[in-house]
Amino acid sequence: MKGKTIVSTLLISSALLSGCSFSSSEPSSSDGDKLTIEIFQGKVEFKDQFEALAEEYEKENPDVDIKITAVGGGSDYAGSLKTKFASGDEPEIFSIAGPTEAANFEQYLSDLSDTKAADLALEGSLDPVTKDGEVHGLPFNQEGYGFIYNKKVFKEAGIHSEDILTYEDLEKAVKEIDSQKDQLGLEAVFAFPAKEKWVPGNHLSNVFLASEFNQQVLEAYHAESVSFEKGKEFQRMVDLQTEYSVQPVLSLDYSQQVEEYFSLQKVAIIQQGNWIYPSVEQMDQEFAENNMGIMPIPVEGSEGKLPVGIPNYWAVNNNSDDEVIQASKDFLDWMYTSEVGKEAVLKDFKFIPAYEGFDTDGIADPLSKEIYTYSSNGDTTGWVLLGYPGVWGDYLGGNIQKYLSEKMTWDEVEEDSKQKWEELRK
Amino acid sequence: MNNQNKWFWIFLSPVILALGIVVVVPFVYGFVFSFTDWNGLTATSFVGFEHYLNLFQEEEFMSSIWFTVKFSIVTVILLNVFGLCLALIVTRKIKSNNLLRTVFFMPNLIGGLILGFIWQFIFISVFGDVGNLLGLEGMGGWLSTPETGFWGLVILTSWQMAGYIMIIYIAYLENIPKDLIEAARIDGASALQRFKSITFPLVAPAFTVSMFLTLSMAFKIYDQNLSLTNGGPFNSTQMVAMEIVRTAFSDNEMAYAQAKAVIFFLIVAVIALTQVYYNKKREVDM
Repeated sequence: MKGKTIVSTLLISSALLSGCSFSSSEPSSSDGDKLTIEIFQGKVEFKDQFEALAEEYEKENPDVDIKITAVGGGSDYAGSLKTKFASGDEPEIFSIAGPTEAANFEQYLSDLSDTKAADLALEGSLDPVTKDGEVHGLPFNQEGYGFIYNKKVFKEAGIHSEDILTYEDLEKAVKEIDSQKDQLGLEAVFAFPAKEKWVPGNHLSNVFLASEFNQQVLEAYHAESVSFEKGKEFQRMVDLQTEYSVQPVLSLDYSQQVEEYFSLQKVAIIQQGNWIYPSVEQMDQEFAENNMGIMPIPVEGSEGKLPVGIPNYWAVNNNSDDEVIQASKDFLDWMYTSEVGKEAVLKDFKFIPAYEGFDTDGIADPLSKEIYTYSSNGDTTGWVLLGYPGVWGDYLGGNIQKYLSEKMTWDEVEEDSKQKWEELRK
Repeated sequence: MNNQNKWFWIFLSPVILALGIVVVVPFVYGFVFSFTDWNGLTATSFVGFEHYLNLFQEEEFMSSIWFTVKFSIVTVILLNVFGLCLALIVTRKIKSNNLLRTVFFMPNLIGGLILGFIWQFIFISVFGDVGNLLGLEGMGGWLSTPETGFWGLVILTSWQMAGYIMIIYIAYLENIPKDLIEAARIDGASALQRFKSITFPLVAPAFTVSMFLTLSMAFKIYDQNLSLTNGGPFNSTQMVAMEIVRTAFSDNEMAYAQAKAVIFFLIVAVIALTQVYYNKKREVDM
């Protein structure tokens, strides 16, 4: 008797509970003859502009309905995407970053080699996501980084960025600026945000490790070990940036570096990429438009070359109807090959295109323009950092923090990081 | 079975069900997953106690536990000292009594994340500038070394939680019979003697409550840690909760993180149960 009551009360209450939710379930893939494409992507900066473009597409193609979700960068995104797949609410189009993530989601990736965009993608840009002749992703855009400098300060100090090719040139220029920093109104030459592990651990390490892997992401991705051939160069660049930076570097973060110090012209050089442009523009539009330049981080053997890479790829989920897959491909094609799409990618998204057929005079900001010039002249090095095993970049960054607080010698940094790489590759 | 009993279960069932769905089921799931190679999507095989054996070998996890223990001991002491002092101040007969109580309690109402960012600014920019002005070297470079990171966290937490502990002490302080203190005063006891021999023993039960409250609070801190130091420099100020989140979501080792979480749960559970045991015993005694 007692057991019966418990069971029945549980039933009643569960009915009550379920009554108050789940009443409005969305139609999943097709609503009559309308196709729904759900896009899930990890770049929040261009969400509004992207939605505007999707609306434009819906107007041209009334039978397609596009829903866009953007989830903030880094580890968050990969986690949310996993959750989405685990719960069965799979998106039709999603973004993946490089070969490591592509491998995680391999079973869900459709072959995109029959799209127009794949034909037009810049040479080599598809390699990291190509497997057995199947193209698993289409590039978002290109991004590049290096030393971003204040043109006005350089001019006043009598320094020409074109002359800085080697480490010695850079050191001379840095010392020159340092000696005049009071007249120039600077607090220091650099702002080196060692608090952000990715700045030394991913970006700076990449320029010194790329040659080991022949500038190829995939070689890094398959490498069993790392040898730090240019370890000594790497070390002296860390030392130089630290010595002439705003102190203490270990509590300096990205937003202080870009907004407080660089935008307000208190430092002359920072190691960052074209993604900082919108932040600087918000702080000081005039400065952003006229006084920002970018130059490569000097590395022996690749002087005058900038690391340019593709941080994100579009992938199409193969676990939906053929019709939906085709519609998803059509949308991506339209975005990168139609006139309306190209215009938006260039002007509204402020992307550096990774495809042929763009009118590159239209690139919106000066940093992107310079990076595009490097890229089209072939003066680029690879982004092997996307092929680092797991969180190795952060681990290396942590070791460099230990080096900077004298808890590790540089040799120990190399040795320990090498071991970690091998461990993660097992 | 009588009618009353039936209604008892009927009214209780929504709560039991809700608790079951959001607490018990996930907990059991998590416990089971900690013995598998679960990666967040699928679990293919049982690995037994492998994760548990590994985590005791892992330097980073052990150092985060050690850091948390150190942090907890220091904050528990400081919180109780500050809490009691504040309570003594606001139970005096001064005019701004209620205003002061509100002000002292206020930090507790601000979210930990925002507090972390505010204090980050204070430690880095304000401390730095004041240090430059006065020529004090020790004021610069806060949060850039493990030691200053540790003390930064301690200061932030003490400042935030002291007001809450104050409330508990106020309740006990106001329950002290006035006649006892008055009698002592007539007998010629000094203020210090009155505090030592009357006030202090009578608020002693508050210590037990506050100590365990602060202890379990200090153990579970995450948001202040995240926004103030984010574990840096080089993960030296990383507390257990944060270490577990990192293992799960950046290293992507879900099952391993789950095993760590089970250990973490055991530690917090032991603290909480000890508290319940002591409080129960005291209640019986009185």
